[in-house]
Amino acid sequence: MNTRFSVVLALVASILLGGIAFPASAQRGAPVRPARTSDGHPNLSGIWQAINTAHWDLEDHSPSPSQLYQTGAVGATPGGQGVVEGGEIPYKPDALARKKLNFASRLSLDPEVKCYMPGIPRATYMPFPFQIVQAPNMILMAYEFASSDRVINMGKPVEAAVDTWMGTANGRWEGEALVVDNTGFNDQTWFDRAGNFHSDQLHVIERFTLTDQDHLLYEATIEDPQIFTRPWKISMPLYRHVEKNAQLTDFKCVEYAEELLYGHLRKDPSK
Amino acid sequence: MNRLFAAGAVALALAVAPLASSPILGQQAAKAWTAPKTPWGDPDIQGWFSNLSENGTPLEKPAQFAGRNLEDIKGEELTAIKQAAQNRTVESFAGPLHAPEDWWQKDLNMVKGSQAWLITDPPDGKVPALTPEANARAAAAAEARRANPRGPSDSWEDRSLYDRCITRGLPGSMIPAIYGNSYQILQTPDYVAIRYEMIHETRIVPLDGRAHTSPKIRTYMGDARGHWEGDTLVVETMNFRDEASYRNSNGSTLRLTERFTRVGPSTVKWAVTVEDPKTWVRPWTFAMPLTIDDTQPVLEYACHEGNLGLRNILSAARSEEEAAKANK
Repeated sequence: MNTRFSVVLALVASILLGGIAFPASAQRGAPVRPARTSDGHPNLSGIWQAINTAHWDLEDHSPSPSQLYQTGAVGATPGGQGVVEGGEIPYKPDALARKKLNFASRLSLDPEVKCYMPGIPRATYMPFPFQIVQAPNMILMAYEFASSDRVINMGKPVEAAVDTWMGTANGRWEGEALVVDNTGFNDQTWFDRAGNFHSDQLHVIERFTLTDQDHLLYEATIEDPQIFTRPWKISMPLYRHVEKNAQLTDFKCVEYAEELLYGHLRKDPSK
Repeated sequence: MNRLFAAGAVALALAVAPLASSPILGQQAAKAWTAPKTPWGDPDIQGWFSNLSENGTPLEKPAQFAGRNLEDIKGEELTAIKQAAQNRTVESFAGPLHAPEDWWQKDLNMVKGSQAWLITDPPDGKVPALTPEANARAAAAAEARRANPRGPSDSWEDRSLYDRCITRGLPGSMIPAIYGNSYQILQTPDYVAIRYEMIHETRIVPLDGRAHTSPKIRTYMGDARGHWEGDTLVVETMNFRDEASYRNSNGSTLRLTERFTRVGPSTVKWAVTVEDPKTWVRPWTFAMPLTIDDTQPVLEYACHEGNLGLRNILSAARSEEEAAKANK
């Protein structure tokens, strides 16, 4: 309440002092980040990353070895507490059986292995940073993994034209929270490396809320009546990369997956 | 009805013509558009873009225009050149084996293309001569190919980075192809982002004056830094990977300087200066207008995910080899 009041006061003061509502543009390179954009919304721009084990498994899980013994400790799965509200993903029985099959065959089935776009919400908590570029009418989320990205439409909501990997995102502000309604997904992406999955009926409602300058609370409600008995929710903090020189470094992983995908089509496999 | 309409059009043209040539009104018309600013005061170059109509414009000045300037090729002469290029492009895809004819053909409008070639400097409109070092590099690469000859589809590594859905690189990503040309520019006070539909690539350009990253970090799209010079966004990009370095230049010494200037309601002037002392004897520049087109939003192009083309090229080549063996 107090911080909100002081932000308003600062805004009013800066408008009175000549309409400069954006101190950062006046002194580029200064570490001060404006808490609000010029249209008065929370400023989510920055480079963010999750620090948890959700990407290995959204649910509670023990540490476990890699499926490839050659990768030793490097390829093993760290244990960790889950991020699913209530602890378990409410699968329908058939879907739970398929999830288990996915996990057993994860090296050949996980779309991440093939460098495919990760979809939503998985892109948010992969072990790679992503950058929010909060422009006046559109919010870009650019993910380091596989050069995937999406733009959140903040204008009149649009219907998904076709099913896609990253979905169609319509955003709105609910008080201090950015709420993103995502539809139009294909059935090709997973939620994590544990084989948690969805159908093309997936509907994801995300909420991004700054809890302080460097922490962003991420919540996602997941609906898919073909796969789950009810909607379920994940939540986790995202951490700002505060290094002054932080930036995304292209992770164009296609070339790391080509031997796996096309190796059998080489002219001479011994080459 | 038609005659009435035609008569009306002539009357309108007559009524407008003297007004349009009036110097006072001309000035007022020029004043009517002022370059938009973002809420924080930077020039506003945001929007959805498509350069489709600039497709097929030759990089270098064609011999037929020797002695003439770029700005002199206009009107009917330019339209005729563009119509011919359009016809050639459509015909070049009309072989016995080709994709359906309405996939991209009906949207291709090269006739609206704005220039007869791209290079604006040096004045002769040609890519400058290669340095002795670049010639030696090309000769060594040719020798390596002779020593270890490979077919065009022995492996994915023999296909282009574009075929493999990895990158079109820079300035390749700015240059239109026959489809999938939409891109988007977004701005904040600290960053400019450019998203390309083709392959799906995003360049995020910091404007905060930070230094470039170490040359030990090399990427396909390079390391970009931007700043505003008056109304112009200047973006300098370096630290390219050699495999993607423009026109076989040297990735560690290539430097691209792009300039984006909003010059009209739907036009951003763009130019790129290409500099690599290890490849060309002097820097050179090419330019084209970028067209804001709100009807062309960027859609998701799942290039690698759907890359059946590459798989089919490789498997077809293997099948042909099997067939050749069987026929021996």
